Amino acid sequence: MLLLWEAAVHAFGIREFILPAPSAVWTATIAVWPTVLNHTLATLVTVLLGFAASVVISLPLAMLIAASPAISAALYPLLVVTQSIPKVALAPILLVALGANELPRIIVTFLVAFFPLVVASVAGLLATPPELIELGRACRAGRVQELVRIRLPYAVPFVFGGLKVAAALSVVGAVVAEFVGADAGLGYLIQTSMAFFRSPLAFGAVLILAVMGILLFQAVALTERLLFPWSSGAQTGAPPAA
Amino acid sequence: MIGLAHTGKTFRGRDGAEVEALRDVSLSVADGEFVAIVGASGCGKSTLLRLVAGLVPASTGTVTLQGQAVTAPREDTAMVFQAPTLLPWADVLRNVTFPLRLMGKAGSDTEDRARALLATAGLKGFETKLPSELSGGMQQRVAICRALLQNPRVLLMDEPFGALDALTREEMSLELLRLWGERRMAVIFVTHSIPEAVLLADRVVVMSPRPGRIADIVEVGLPRPRSFDQEGSDEFQRCARRIRDRIFGERRAAAA
Repeated sequence: MLLLWEAAVHAFGIREFILPAPSAVWTATIAVWPTVLNHTLATLVTVLLGFAASVVISLPLAMLIAASPAISAALYPLLVVTQSIPKVALAPILLVALGANELPRIIVTFLVAFFPLVVASVAGLLATPPELIELGRACRAGRVQELVRIRLPYAVPFVFGGLKVAAALSVVGAVVAEFVGADAGLGYLIQTSMAFFRSPLAFGAVLILAVMGILLFQAVALTERLLFPWSSGAQTGAPPAA
Repeated sequence: MIGLAHTGKTFRGRDGAEVEALRDVSLSVADGEFVAIVGASGCGKSTLLRLVAGLVPASTGTVTLQGQAVTAPREDTAMVFQAPTLLPWADVLRNVTFPLRLMGKAGSDTEDRARALLATAGLKGFETKLPSELSGGMQQRVAICRALLQNPRVLLMDEPFGALDALTREEMSLELLRLWGERRMAVIFVTHSIPEAVLLADRVVVMSPRPGRIADIVEVGLPRPRSFDQEGSDEFQRCARRIRDRIFGERRAAAA
């Protein structure tokens, strides 16, 4: 594909600021590699912290929602509201309210990434076959035991389905936040490069983001295979990305 | 001894309408007795089992075990479902010991007993396999071992072989009889299969649907140990015909 791209750019004489050739992207990115690396690390920190926040908040939230229809009815509309608001619109407001530091960026990343994780985890917690619940009850298991010994393990493949979506969305969230207010990061790099029509460098940043997304996704998949080998082959229900 | 006296169960459906699943069922099952329950779908067989298991409370009448009213699941009752209902994340051994661990009753000998039990059920060497690595018949064997490990006084089986192919089913029936012969707990065995009921049980309870009632109780006079050779015997045929007449006679009467 890269070869076709390279050939097409040369064959049709496409101008560099419209579509740079892969070779041009490579040269431009390598030329300022230390800077690019700094931006990459800045984005990675935001992505990882935002992803971590999603995990830490989504799982207990999912347990609450799965535990009671009343809590579910109270919380779900709120969660949907957070999903309906465009994060691009929310980011500047958060920035003003919380100041120009890492926190608003992490919050935006979290807001983009956490919802599919909650939905998938709730689906997993509620997907436990009724016979398994009955087995637990026949063994005189209480509600806490039922949750910890039966529902939670059963939900693991679903949770990982949600984690994979959340991992990819964390990258999206971090870049959205950086577009709005940042002095570092790949999102910032893309914006400043394009302002000067330095398309090759912007393309380079986009490719690094893609690689970051893939690596994060694979890291989640690898964790699943190592920690829960039975889960990988199991049926999962990841919801479509928001 | 299990005793049901004028037991009835009415469920409230999702739409608020009441559904009478069982009406005025009186039955007693002696210690060590094997009772099969047959009947068309919707005749309350499973409900009856769940009443004895203490999973659902009776609406009318009483359910007693050893003279005590059954109000909640008991430790001396074990259940086998139609689906093996194994934990997909736990290996065979941990699945078999799961109920005891859940009830906090697992001792130092639990694992050894589980291994011995698995061996008698032909599952030696599969202790560390995951359920997904086993065939349907083997999974159900694990589920039966899981129930037996509790040393139950009462074993409740809800169409345990319903999801298995015919050959596996016959093999498992004989195996169940052997395991029961060694332990002699009371068994209530719900099934759709008339030959299976006759082959296994001391008595076959025939139920009629809507609401579920006992239509007949057939004593099976076949000597034990039972085998499939007895299928040709007059007693087997007599029992099977009588059960069939009860079930389909009711249907004909309902259709007329």
